[in-house]
Amino acid sequence: MFFSLVRKYWKTAELEATGHMGDDPMFFIQYIFRFLRVVVLLSLWRTILENQPHNAEMSLAAVLTYTLIAEIFNEQLNPQTGLAWDLLRGRTATAFLQPIGLVEQFSSKMLGRWLASLALFSAPLLLLAPLLGVSAAPANLINLPLFVLSLVLCVSIGVALDFIITALGVIYFEQTIYAVERVHTALTLLLSGALIPLTLMPWGLGEILGWLPFASTASAPLRIYTGTGDPGLLLVIQFCWALVLWPISHWLWESNREKLVSFGG
Amino acid sequence: MTRSLKLFLTFLLTDTIFNITAITATLLLAERFNGIGMWSKFQVVFLVGYATLTEGLLEMFFGYNILFMSRRLGRGQLDHILVQPQSIWLAFFTEGFNPFTASGSVLIGLLLIIWSSIELHLHISFLWICFALLNVVASMSVVLFFCFCWSSLAFWAPRAAEEITTPLMRIFRSLDAFPFDGLSFLLLSGVTVIVPVAFVAWYPSRYLLGLDTSILNAMLTPLVALGISILALFVFKKGLEHYGRTGSQRYDSLGHRG
Repeated sequence: MFFSLVRKYWKTAELEATGHMGDDPMFFIQYIFRFLRVVVLLSLWRTILENQPHNAEMSLAAVLTYTLIAEIFNEQLNPQTGLAWDLLRGRTATAFLQPIGLVEQFSSKMLGRWLASLALFSAPLLLLAPLLGVSAAPANLINLPLFVLSLVLCVSIGVALDFIITALGVIYFEQTIYAVERVHTALTLLLSGALIPLTLMPWGLGEILGWLPFASTASAPLRIYTGTGDPGLLLVIQFCWALVLWPISHWLWESNREKLVSFGG
Repeated sequence: MTRSLKLFLTFLLTDTIFNITAITATLLLAERFNGIGMWSKFQVVFLVGYATLTEGLLEMFFGYNILFMSRRLGRGQLDHILVQPQSIWLAFFTEGFNPFTASGSVLIGLLLIIWSSIELHLHISFLWICFALLNVVASMSVVLFFCFCWSSLAFWAPRAAEEITTPLMRIFRSLDAFPFDGLSFLLLSGVTVIVPVAFVAWYPSRYLLGLDTSILNAMLTPLVALGISILALFVFKKGLEHYGRTGSQRYDSLGHRG
């Protein structure tokens, strides 16, 4: 029973991963652009911080590790199921017909998309870290399992947020789900600390943003990895957000899925 | 806008939030560290304003997937234009006009430029305005024709290259509002040759802010834009010839890609 269940999810992920590479043989080009982007970002951080007096919150080495790990785990730190895009393209009607739950189905697809990226971009980037002059090692050995736990919670919170925002989109912004999804992506990138560490934001903004669910996605695991935050407190906050967000997500979908109308792409 | 005020306001608001979010990171860093590298805080504000204005104008004039031409070519939607009784270039330069919803970014860009110019006590002459306008048009052309160049791949590989412009635009949008002065020669080559993101705001701003007043720097972006546009037109024309022989296999009766 258990293996049959796992096999179902794994096959969905496998289809998505092979489909990604089969349909899009030029996928490697986007990895070249991503690589250029991360190298430029690392260089920009060096430019920004090299002439600054010693930064109490984060050293240059920690910021560089933070940026590198953020790029290596880019998809996991900003988990997106693709539900909103399927809604936009009218594919959700097919999704509802599949013999697998909606959350499990979209999560498996998301996992499938990650596999190609992890193998073809993240792993090579991790290996190239010494050449880029960046330490990819965690601050302490104990931080590594805590980072993994935090990353799992981050994915859980990210998926719950994705389902909540898409459900709200279904109710209030059905015709403009594209625009809502763009804002969701952009806001998450900024507020989660994936682009710039929250501790480096001015006016103490980071301290406020740190309590929001967005910070429990990218910022929390990255702070644990770089040893720039209290792992216990960060994990508790993440756990609390996961506990709060999943029931809301479930309730929103259960009460609104009947309102969904799909006319095809 | 006239058909649905609610829809118009939603798109105006969401597009504005999207564009503000994209530039906020640079502005926050400039505020936190009182500038970036050799650039002062308000010089960075000017650079961000210039980048936002360029992006806003690109959205305003080349919306509806004109900027993302690979999507149209890949999906077989070029036929929609070919059946019209006008040249395809006239169609490209008119049907992407999107004056209302893209106006938020244009206004924000202009406000940031005006604000920083006042704070920096910039001497604005008629010649300065002429060079500013020329460079903004050139920056737009660099992005547009560079995307056209890559998009042309979709003539030969419609499925594979359909989304080729998406990662390209992502790199433009994520890096165009940063000053590149501290970059090594190799990296500088990357942001000028591999993906010419340095011409979106950095090079023109250096001249307009008086950081490099040579005439070469004033004309560099327009010259690069000219070079890229000639290359793009050549590649696109070749692709069009190929399309004339093969057509599209991806168009179906529902008008959606297969």
